[in-house]
Amino acid sequence: MSEKLTRVLYVEDEPDIQVVARLALEMLGGFTVEICSSGSEALEKISGFHPQLILLDVMMPGMDGPTTLVNLRKLPQFAATPVVFMTAKVQPSEVAGYKALGAIAVIPKPFDPMTLAGQISEIWKHSHE
Amino acid sequence: MNNSEKFQEALKQLSDAYAAQLPEKFRNMMLTLDALPQNQWDEEGFQTLYRMVHSLSGSSKTFGFPALGDAARTLEHHLKMLGEAKRALSSTQRDQVYEQLAALNQLAIRQEHADADLAGTVSAESAVAHASCQVYIVEDESSLAVELKTQLSYFGYDVSVFYALNDFKVAMQQSRDVVVLMDINFPEDPLGGIHVMNEIQRGRATPIPVIFLSAHGEFDIRLEAVRAGGIAYMNKPVNLGVLVDKLDELTSVKAAEADRVLIVDDEVALTDYYAAALEQAGLSVRVANNPLHVLNDLLEFSPDLILIDMYMPECNGMELAKLIRQLDDFIGIPIVFLSAETDMDKQLAAIGMGGDDFLCKPISPQHLVSSVTSRIRRSQLLRSFMVRDSLTGLLNHTAIKDQLAREMARAKRHNKPLSFAMVDIDFFKNVNDSYGHPVGDRVIKSLSRLLKQRLREIDAVGRYGGEEFAVILVDTDGQTAIKVMDTIRHDFSLLRHLAGDIEFSVSFSCGIADMSDYADVSKMADAADRALYQAKHAGRNRVVLADGESTR
Repeated sequence: MSEKLTRVLYVEDEPDIQVVARLALEMLGGFTVEICSSGSEALEKISGFHPQLILLDVMMPGMDGPTTLVNLRKLPQFAATPVVFMTAKVQPSEVAGYKALGAIAVIPKPFDPMTLAGQISEIWKHSHE
Repeated sequence: MNNSEKFQEALKQLSDAYAAQLPEKFRNMMLTLDALPQNQWDEEGFQTLYRMVHSLSGSSKTFGFPALGDAARTLEHHLKMLGEAKRALSSTQRDQVYEQLAALNQLAIRQEHADADLAGTVSAESAVAHASCQVYIVEDESSLAVELKTQLSYFGYDVSVFYALNDFKVAMQQSRDVVVLMDINFPEDPLGGIHVMNEIQRGRATPIPVIFLSAHGEFDIRLEAVRAGGIAYMNKPVNLGVLVDKLDELTSVKAAEADRVLIVDDEVALTDYYAAALEQAGLSVRVANNPLHVLNDLLEFSPDLILIDMYMPECNGMELAKLIRQLDDFIGIPIVFLSAETDMDKQLAAIGMGGDDFLCKPISPQHLVSSVTSRIRRSQLLRSFMVRDSLTGLLNHTAIKDQLAREMARAKRHNKPLSFAMVDIDFFKNVNDSYGHPVGDRVIKSLSRLLKQRLREIDAVGRYGGEEFAVILVDTDGQTAIKVMDTIRHDFSLLRHLAGDIEFSVSFSCGIADMSDYADVSKMADAADRALYQAKHAGRNRVVLADGESTR
């Protein structure tokens, strides 16, 4: 039943990482990617883009990743959109914490640009099993 | 190119861009740290610094700077701990952070360097590391392999042959300083040579230098060869002369002397900054903050490149470039202007005045270093065409005489001895007549190689003419020079040369002049020439020291 993943929203404040991630997701994953530099930008743009999957950096100035997730969930049409956290802190307890917030997976940073798209495809597949 | 390769290409470019931004990032971090007040906690300022380090630690590994990433992460944790106390940093704490930042900066610069080395052909250091190394030939065609082995051993190389890739792989498990001559096509795999080298290079900090041999020259195979660490790619049939040159280049111990850059700029703070960047990159730098003293600096320091600020109070950069170009010894020196001038017309005018390039301030240290070093490389290459003999790579007749004049002046100034030796191969005409000119050329190359091997880097060796060589022995008196040259003479006479199946040997005669007996270059050269004549006359294959004029 799993539909093909094509539209990915990535919320990340670091411009360097934005560029690499976009390139990796577009070239290697073949996804259509929208990048937002902050949680509030994501909340503004999400309705126009309609992502199937959302990647959220945890540590961002202003609205951090978890807060952004809480606010996204308040929007009815995105109440169930799968969210993946990206973070450097990957203690098992923390992963559990993020999952409790509603994330389906956590991708550790720094990510490997060569495998990022593959990782996301895997996560997408599992989420539909 | 498939998507993954395209992506890697793009990633490489992004990494380069990222690397170029690093100095700016470090500067901002340093400035932010400096701006933190000494006596009260500045939450916002501290968080700014923390975020900068956090973003560095999050991104540098992704861009291919793993060591930098790890160090940044350590600093990030350190800062996090300091931040929890919410107390202004003590001067010790501040110094610690400062040191960690400086260490990060160093790591970034070193990484830059590693990249540059990989991109370039052979760095001086790797050449030094491979001095006195072995050659492994991996070739399934036994006749070619044996032929190469014989020829190369004749040039003094210690060669082992492997007919099968597996034997080679086993041998490589315990081999270190080797140069590999690798055939590409093997019966079991048309690109077997490349695949095996890829396997071997993986996991090695410094790649094994490999020269690929192939019957094909297609671009994609060449590219694969480069990726497998190929420093040269030779089509079959193999041109032995070219191959030996490559090997010589790889195994010869290059001058350790750093390239010299003279910076002429009246702004002291800025020149110090540039000088530090260039010095960190291994260049030797002298700063002239007063352009009026530049002549003195030129003569004493003898730079390989001059960086000149366009606008200085006493005399402007363009005038100075013109003036330098009027000095005979500096006609060819690269001159690079440095200025905040962004007007293209003015830049072009500056280049018209004798400048070679124009760099805009502010310039990143990496950009400065790469512009300067590539300029120096190019000018050295051009110079080598002018002063080097094409067969042997030794200094040509004019260049060795110029060098003799310089060395004599220097030796006199420092009150040091100096000797000049003329070397001539005995009965060389017979070699050419009996075995042909290509064999004669090989004999000449083998002597040139022996001279270079046995003499010190500071000594100068030139090809004076046909089969005649000249050697300048620095800081060496006549008696010592005789000993040195006689050892070389003895060894050369034992070398076996090959012409087809015939083995033969050749000797040389040598005449030496000691500077303490002669007033100028031409008298010194004449005396060495006369001594050489005496050596020939007395039966050849010997070394004779010229009688000083005073004793004649």
